[in-house]
Amino acid sequence: MRQSSLTYQLERFGLVVVWLAFIALFGVLRPDTFLTWSNFSTIFGSEAVLVIVTLGIIIPLTAGDFDLSIAQTLTLVSMATALLDARLDVPLWLVLPIGLGIGALVGVVNGAITIYFRVHSLIVTLGVGTFLHGITLFIGNSQTISGVSPALMEWVIIQRYFGIPVAFYYAIGLAAVIWYMMGYTAFGQQLLFTGRGREVGRLSGVSVGRVRLTAFVMSGVLGALAGILYTGTTGSANPSSGTYLLLPAFAAAFLGATCIRPGRFNPWGSVIAVYFLVTGINGLSVLGFRTFVQDLFYGGALVLAVMVSQLVSGRKERAL
Amino acid sequence: MTQGSVPRLEIRGLTKTFGGARALDRADLTLMPGEVHGLLGSNGSGKSTLIKVLSGFHAPDEGELRIDGRDIALPIPLGRSETHGLAFVHQNLGLLHDATVLENLIAGDHERLRPWWIDWRAEAERARKLFAEHHLDLAPDDIVADLSPVKRAQLAIVRAADRVREHREHGAPGVLVLDEPTPFLPQEDVRDLFAMMRRLTANGVAIIFVSHDIDEVMEVTDRCTVLRDGHVIGTFDTAVTERSALVEAIVGRAVSVDRRVSPLPAAAPAVEVRDLSGEIVEGISLSVQPGEILGLTGLIGSGYDEVPALLAGAQRATAGQLKLGGRSLDVPTLDPADAMAARIVFIPADRQRAGIAPDLSLTENAMLPLIGGRLALNKRRLRKDTGELIRRYSVKASSSEQAASELSGGNQQKLVLGKWLQLRPQLVLLDEPTQGIDVGARQEIYDRLLEVCADGGAVICATSEFEQLEIIAHRVLIFDRGRIQSELKGQDVTKSAIAQACYKAVETHAAE
Repeated sequence: MRQSSLTYQLERFGLVVVWLAFIALFGVLRPDTFLTWSNFSTIFGSEAVLVIVTLGIIIPLTAGDFDLSIAQTLTLVSMATALLDARLDVPLWLVLPIGLGIGALVGVVNGAITIYFRVHSLIVTLGVGTFLHGITLFIGNSQTISGVSPALMEWVIIQRYFGIPVAFYYAIGLAAVIWYMMGYTAFGQQLLFTGRGREVGRLSGVSVGRVRLTAFVMSGVLGALAGILYTGTTGSANPSSGTYLLLPAFAAAFLGATCIRPGRFNPWGSVIAVYFLVTGINGLSVLGFRTFVQDLFYGGALVLAVMVSQLVSGRKERAL
Repeated sequence: MTQGSVPRLEIRGLTKTFGGARALDRADLTLMPGEVHGLLGSNGSGKSTLIKVLSGFHAPDEGELRIDGRDIALPIPLGRSETHGLAFVHQNLGLLHDATVLENLIAGDHERLRPWWIDWRAEAERARKLFAEHHLDLAPDDIVADLSPVKRAQLAIVRAADRVREHREHGAPGVLVLDEPTPFLPQEDVRDLFAMMRRLTANGVAIIFVSHDIDEVMEVTDRCTVLRDGHVIGTFDTAVTERSALVEAIVGRAVSVDRRVSPLPAAAPAVEVRDLSGEIVEGISLSVQPGEILGLTGLIGSGYDEVPALLAGAQRATAGQLKLGGRSLDVPTLDPADAMAARIVFIPADRQRAGIAPDLSLTENAMLPLIGGRLALNKRRLRKDTGELIRRYSVKASSSEQAASELSGGNQQKLVLGKWLQLRPQLVLLDEPTQGIDVGARQEIYDRLLEVCADGGAVICATSEFEQLEIIAHRVLIFDRGRIQSELKGQDVTKSAIAQACYKAVETHAAE
């Protein structure tokens, strides 16, 4: 790896450059509506949920597993939080651990089935996710639950620093924690070997099954956290909230793997990719494009991101 | 075998070089109709190169091929050998285990089958006729995974025979190449296979039978050709040839290599293994003394290569005790982490999958066993340690941060060796440690192993390269069908003595 070479630095920060170029373009075209601090602070705050979901999926992705159930974990926990808080008047200090506990439990179920029954995680989490959605519809009676206590909203979206809702800082803090975990702990290395050299890891004493299970529990808990924040952001829970987050999260995860630490799923790359994607969509909608542009943008970005990463790895192989 | 007729297949002056080394040097081979022709030779003799030229996998540098008197242009395009009446059955048989006998039988038979519609009933009927004709007890609807090993082999062979008969451009029966089809078969089943081969040759098919097993070659072939170091040593009329003459032709006269180990004074064993059993090995016991390199070898399928993986906990043993440094370990419950804790390290044969993680950096690869469960890694320290390891094991690399895939095979293996030897092991287990590695790197790997010995460590090295054992092994155990058959020590550890012992192992077995 040529750490110092210009091409490598360009590869690392390519996405940031494109992001800034997008901002400049939309800013020139619509300076009054797009290029305002209130527009940006709204983007930063409201998309914190998507950042956390993306951070959640990159952990199992690094270990070589897909967690497609994370969006429905979010929906279920969001719904459970709203119900416990608004309908059953359970105190918040109890609601939060229950919500996170649900996420951990989903992770254990995903991991156990994937590892002990040797089923591909794609299938397991697809099924578990749909099952969770069923539970969400059942407990919420297929309705939107509102009337969430202001305290939750206060600590998610109303409190602001530098004009940006506090949820954004939660997401950034989590990214920092995951960055440290992936890069500077033995567990991070074990995660990496589990995904990229499973047999090497196993022969080096890594308990591969336990690592994969832990990764699923982490993504479950992060999905649950995102659910709680979602309820706090909107002040309500609706049974389809998470459905539209799954594809953007995967797009951001794969796009993020093309920058900062090219070739690896990494938290800062994920954060940048999320805000790159939502900036693009926000800018296009400011320009007057309608909602179909979201699907074009997210779908296109996902496919483009995996194409780029294949090109990068292909170039490395040819260089041998 | 009919005398004086046109040869079914004729190879003249076949030469193939790989990077300056001659794998085949002006090799000739003549195959008569109805003949079973043995092809013998040890590892690296050129046998498999010859087979791969026939299958179109390799393009030869020079040489001619004639089938039934017609010149065939070389190289044969890959996948077109069937049209010349050549069909191959390799050791792995090429069957899809989850599929039925019938599905396997017709798989890839593109020229006969219509692409848009398969008449399964007619195909099943055809298969039944085919099996009856060859006296095979196979049913079209059976799942291949449920068949016994010999039935799988029969299916693979009958499929190949059927293919050459169907696709022969000019009607004559073709040539079957059986590449080591027997090593995993029980003795009595091998007889069934031979009977089937005889029925095929009675119809004019010619068979090239590649085997390590001289007794099988003596039993089933009409003639046999021996290759050594790329040269045809000779073609023998099996009926009038002594077994010993064949062994000598295969092994050759001993070319002495520099032995790098000298006899050790008697000492209490550092490692004792008792009653070890795995998939092939059964109840073997062995011991290694401090500073000793113990070589394990044998013919393909004899189980010697299983031992390192079993003792490292990489593959589950079914029974066995391991004593080392005053501790007694139960091998079947051993995990790689337990083995590491007991200072046992294992260098696997499959470097690309089990030795290194190609995408990850040299530092990550080299430091994995050291970091344990630490919550704060000192990256700078790890990089520095890797830099030192790279220098110490003379790994040619530009940076400790480059991906392991960017190194050559030899340098990758030196990195793997360094990764494990830095743990200062009591027992080093190796499986084919120099596979695909150049001569220079080989010598460096030998140097490192001898250093381990000088420090009082014990080494167990499983390899199919006899020369390697002559260079570095104090003692060699020769395996046969899962058991230790014989032992060579000190000055007796020579390439040819090992080869002799390997072939003798089979002979003793056949005499039982």
